[in-house]
Amino acid sequence: MNRRSKIGITATGLVLVGLLAMSLALAGCGSTSAKSLSGKLTLSGSTTVLPLAQEAADMFMTDNPKTNVTVQGGGSSVGVTQVSQGVVNIGNSSRDLNDTEKNLGLVDHQVAYDVIAIIVNPSVGITNLTSDQAKAIFSGTVKNWNQVGGPNAPITVVIRDSSSGTREIFDQKVLGAAKTAPDAPGAIETNSNGIMRQTVASTPNSAGYISLGYIDKTVKSVSLNGVQPTLANGLNKTYPLARYLHMFTKGEATGLAKSYIDFVLTPNFQNVVVAKDYVPMTKIPGSASSTTPTGK
Amino acid sequence: MIDREWIVKKTLFVFAMIAVLGILLIVVLVTQQAAPSIAKAGPLQMLFSSNWNPQAGHYGMLIFIAGTFLTMLGGLLIGVPLALGTAIYLTQMSSKRIAGPVSRAVEIMAGIPSIVIGWLGLTMLVPVIRKVLGTNQGYGLLAASLVLGVMIMPTITAIAKDALDAVPVAYKQASIGLGATRWQTIRRVILPAARNGIIVAVILGMGRAIGETVAVAMVLGPSTAFPKSLTTPTHTLTTKIVMEIGESTGLQRSALFAMALLLLLIAMALILSVRLVTRNKEFA
Repeated sequence: MNRRSKIGITATGLVLVGLLAMSLALAGCGSTSAKSLSGKLTLSGSTTVLPLAQEAADMFMTDNPKTNVTVQGGGSSVGVTQVSQGVVNIGNSSRDLNDTEKNLGLVDHQVAYDVIAIIVNPSVGITNLTSDQAKAIFSGTVKNWNQVGGPNAPITVVIRDSSSGTREIFDQKVLGAAKTAPDAPGAIETNSNGIMRQTVASTPNSAGYISLGYIDKTVKSVSLNGVQPTLANGLNKTYPLARYLHMFTKGEATGLAKSYIDFVLTPNFQNVVVAKDYVPMTKIPGSASSTTPTGK
Repeated sequence: MIDREWIVKKTLFVFAMIAVLGILLIVVLVTQQAAPSIAKAGPLQMLFSSNWNPQAGHYGMLIFIAGTFLTMLGGLLIGVPLALGTAIYLTQMSSKRIAGPVSRAVEIMAGIPSIVIGWLGLTMLVPVIRKVLGTNQGYGLLAASLVLGVMIMPTITAIAKDALDAVPVAYKQASIGLGATRWQTIRRVILPAARNGIIVAVILGMGRAIGETVAVAMVLGPSTAFPKSLTTPTHTLTTKIVMEIGESTGLQRSALFAMALLLLLIAMALILSVRLVTRNKEFA
């Protein structure tokens, strides 16, 4: 290789590196003017909140094309940990903060209300369970469907992983545990609502629990003590398996995070998007986006 | 003298050191994360208790350790005969015309992503097991062993093939010259001569079987319980880690790292044992 071509190659390399550095620097900058919203926003946490947060992100980015909002899962605990460490801007959670987390300086924004339903494989044919029956099934004391009015078949219990916010509220309300109950013997573990639905749908004689928004034709939901798992019943407290969905920020929300959360709490987003799978905050009297006169 | 030779030599040395440093870094980081739970629960409880209940402070990993070894054993039981048979066939018995496509097929099998095999196991194998054996779920050691066997077979075949090819042709000629049949030659002369290479192949297959996560998780259930039969769900070290790591915090997360450390140590022990086996023998 002679001298001239060596210089040429070096020069090209330097130019390319320079361009790369410039584009990286520009990508990192975000304009902070309120007029044209731009910048990056990251969320992580609960898989229950995830579809909601993702849809809000898509709509937000359409309204503000210079922004880049990314939503990831990982579970409620991951969301709380990451937002408190500053790894993400907003932490999604489907459970309240526990005692150790209350000192992290997180500010709570309730963005939706969720109902959790017990589901069974369509082969089971049960439509209702009493609290005692549900507790017995999911703690493993009742092992056959014929003990609760179903066909003669062994029950396959499907649960969530032990750090899941969904599981925590189920174990507290149905199994009476302080936090999370120990795994029922031989229960199949799944680590998201989606896999829970798929496992219950494809395993005969199985039972599990899932967020209302994930129920489709492949699984059958079951009423608890005669109360159907609907949004209305969660709201009027006749159905016990219900909880708020949270978006946590470290300290008060500012900048892009504040704009995003304000967007999530607008009555339009709540009534159109949130209302499809969850109870929108507009229906909760006294909430930030409650439209009290018309909230029905 | 600093010339091009020197620069190349030093650069490649740095690359090689990255491998060593990388391993040290991984071990150090994993141990760091695992330390709190090991300090709290103690290695005795972790290794010998089957009571896994992190909420109550129990970190017994015996179920997962048993699961790892049982699935590895099952995978070897299915994979090793298949692989050895294929290797022997390809090197000793088949014509050149058949050996070509079969070798290519085995190589392609090695390239199939494990998640695809796991997915096929979940959607096709588990329902078949459920129907054929009449069991309730179909998940369990049987499905996991079949999936793992299929996955480690190409690895073992490739290395065993090389080992068999490395046996000097003079051995085979001498054996046949003394009147032995082909199978007698294979059984009594060639296989013993290729023994080290075949053991290396099996050990590397074991390593792959132990580390396989997603495919096993899909067909094993999974469930934190000892397997009562070949078709009841259970857990391995890898599947438990992948199941819980997403949403875990604190001591439980640290316990998961302790499981990862255990896996690392088992894998390293396996690789080092390869060295041991092939040390003093002739065809290392």
